[in-house]
Amino acid sequence: MRRLIRVAAVVLVAGCGPLSQTHHNPGNSHEVATVPPGGRAGEARADISVRAGRVSPPSGWLEARRGQTVAVTVTSDVADELHVHGYDRTAELRPGQPVTVRFRADLTGVFEVETHRSGLVLTQVAVR
Amino acid sequence: MSGLVLLQGEMAAGVLAHGVGERGDLPIPLFYAYAGAVAALVVSFLALGLLWADSRFSGDRAGRVIRVRPSARPARVAALLAALYTAGRLLLSPAEGNAGPYLVYVLFWVGLVPASLLFGPVWRTVSPFRLLPDRPRRPLPARLGYWPAAAGLLAFTWTELVAPEPAAPPTLLAFGAVYAAAQVAGTLTYGHAWLERGDPFEVYSTLIGHLSPLGRREDGTRVLRGPFDGLDAVRPAPGLVAAVCVLLGGTGYDGFSGAPVWVDALQASPLGRTGLGTVGLLAAVAGVALLYAACLGVAGLVGGTRGLAPRFAHSLVPIALGYLVAHYFSLLVFEGQRAVILALGLDRLGVEVNRDVVGPGTIATVQVVAIVAGHVAGVVAAHDRSVRLLPPGRAVAGQIPLFVLMLCYTLGGLTLLFAA
Repeated sequence: MRRLIRVAAVVLVAGCGPLSQTHHNPGNSHEVATVPPGGRAGEARADISVRAGRVSPPSGWLEARRGQTVAVTVTSDVADELHVHGYDRTAELRPGQPVTVRFRADLTGVFEVETHRSGLVLTQVAVR
Repeated sequence: MSGLVLLQGEMAAGVLAHGVGERGDLPIPLFYAYAGAVAALVVSFLALGLLWADSRFSGDRAGRVIRVRPSARPARVAALLAALYTAGRLLLSPAEGNAGPYLVYVLFWVGLVPASLLFGPVWRTVSPFRLLPDRPRRPLPARLGYWPAAAGLLAFTWTELVAPEPAAPPTLLAFGAVYAAAQVAGTLTYGHAWLERGDPFEVYSTLIGHLSPLGRREDGTRVLRGPFDGLDAVRPAPGLVAAVCVLLGGTGYDGFSGAPVWVDALQASPLGRTGLGTVGLLAAVAGVALLYAACLGVAGLVGGTRGLAPRFAHSLVPIALGYLVAHYFSLLVFEGQRAVILALGLDRLGVEVNRDVVGPGTIATVQVVAIVAGHVAGVVAAHDRSVRLLPPGRAVAGQIPLFVLMLCYTLGGLTLLFAA
């Protein structure tokens, strides 16, 4: 019986898992840099431009490992707002200016990167 | 400023499936897809050779009677209050962090699945429309069958997956108003018989509830029964196949709609996103239905029996359930937390969604097990129905097209999980 309880407790604890750290580690959140694209080693990168409502390269998947840094650089021909779902990163896009959003991929799943005003899906970040 | 823009953007994010949600599931690993496919194939052929030769399920007559008469009135009043609360939140709360869309798309729509699976036809038990008097002015036309529910389910699925702003309060309020008006009008005209066939959510909950150990016979008696007996008790009626095909096709479209190919097509389409999305959703439902009609036609020819199509619709219910579980499991786990947090105002206390409750491995396992289990249950239900309806000499051959049909759905479901 005692063993059963112990097993149940272990299962319960394992099931609850570690708590989300996103908002507990201050350096880890809302780190939006407006720098021109320049590759850093070990990053999952995407370089996307939006012209006349068209996404180029066409919306695809950006693969990343959990813990890896993801950097998405976007150049839009109109003012817009960039949003990474799930990670809730946002950045203002000004016409013709490349903007890079960089974040640590600490949640697994598939997350859309989209523009708010034009409502376009630029890419989907797949974190494994 | 940013908050305001964020809120508009949240609402505009209509491309992602499920109406609400921040995250999509990763593709299942190739090994899982193969394991599921092989399991489905093996089970199908074993079933053909090894399962019983005489029908065993006794449908509505089966089960052990339990003497509980749940008093439904308080539950219905509570459901009415919950619905009014949701409508109030949609109307009055700011769009950002509004609990309404989560209550509708996650707790209600997805939550009905496990609730019905455990407790039987729960929406029937708690439906606020059943507070209206049951005084039919005329009998419900038999040929109407489940068609109104099929149309309602299609409308809801469209709202959830295709509408320009699925999570915007006006969208949900418009859907809710039309839905409620239709149910009230139907009930005032045809009495409660309308709700049984015309309320999309009651039909959805009741169909899934047929798999529950807590069954409800047609005369209202509560019974404890096996899921296959419960499934066998689904009464064929016009539109039943359509209703099940909407569930299956709609969930299939949900799986497909996040695929980059489709996202690109939607964004580049001259029809516009909503136009092409509508075409895609209708095509998915039509594809599922055509495949069903074709395979049942062949089964009828091989088995030498006519009019089989409506009498096998019940065997699609577990397959549709498998699809629903596979596509909504992670949504219920993650966004279900958000629904509760927002509804109770816990977000103001700093409570957050725990994203580590289940990992990708668990999600993939649940998805594959759900699809394969749905397949197995569908095969068993179809087998039993075949040996009852088809002449003994043709029962085995007549089942082959049915198994081909189910394999198509199952392999299609696994492919969606693997590739999209």
